[in-house]
Amino acid sequence: MRNIREQLNEEEETEINLTPMLDVVFIMLIFFIVTAVFVKEPGAEVNRPDAQTAFTPDSGSIFVAVTGNNEIWVDRSEVGIEGVRPAIERIRAENPEGGVVIQADTDASNQFVIAVMDSAKAAGVDNITIAATVP
Amino acid sequence: MRKNSITNIQMEQEENEINLTPMLDVVFIMLIFFIVTASFIRETGLDVNRPDQDQPQVVSNEEGAILVIIDDTDDIWIDNRIVDPRAVSANITRLYAENPDRPVVVQAAPDSSAETLVGVMDASRLAGVFNISIAGGQ
Repeated sequence: MRNIREQLNEEEETEINLTPMLDVVFIMLIFFIVTAVFVKEPGAEVNRPDAQTAFTPDSGSIFVAVTGNNEIWVDRSEVGIEGVRPAIERIRAENPEGGVVIQADTDASNQFVIAVMDSAKAAGVDNITIAATVP
Repeated sequence: MRKNSITNIQMEQEENEINLTPMLDVVFIMLIFFIVTASFIRETGLDVNRPDQDQPQVVSNEEGAILVIIDDTDDIWIDNRIVDPRAVSANITRLYAENPDRPVVVQAAPDSSAETLVGVMDASRLAGVFNISIAGGQ
């Protein structure tokens, strides 16, 4: 009789209480779900121009790449100059607070870079950044 | 009899307790997924101020803006002179000192390169003028 009770007690002590850890894990999970911003990479590698005053903007989750051949890439597919605005609007619908980051190649024509800026403005984005690296 | 009863209680307790381990597994996998997909992509860059198309702005020196023109051959013009890319910052500093609170307007020709545009914007920011507007050239 005594022996059984001791055994019972022992079993309860060896079992770790997982509830606090589960609480912490759940809170982390919720935090990461809420802060998750699914960044759509443009899918084209560009050679960014240098700028000594480049800074890291707070919000930038819509990436538009203008390559050296003046191809415009959004979300891993090449879109024409007319396709930029619908693409930005589509991504913006998922993430309304994201700004547009234009990754322009050093050899890209400003004609296309400015057209992308206009498309972003037309899509309702005021927060436009042009990517540059600090040399 | 007594022993039997205790065993019964123990079994009941074990059955009442939900096994949390599979849920914990799932939660951990979700947690790892969200941590991995969290956007740690941080792109450095420069702010762009593009005036609205429906309210065209008159760009002229008399208005007070410091006008920087980039032509199709990537030459930079300030005050009707071609300026070396390295001297743009000094020129903007001088013009800004003459009449502070002026914005910089960059007029970029269609075939000029983005490198020149970013270079001019960088030079303007180095000169302390952060109000930069971009205008399309003809």
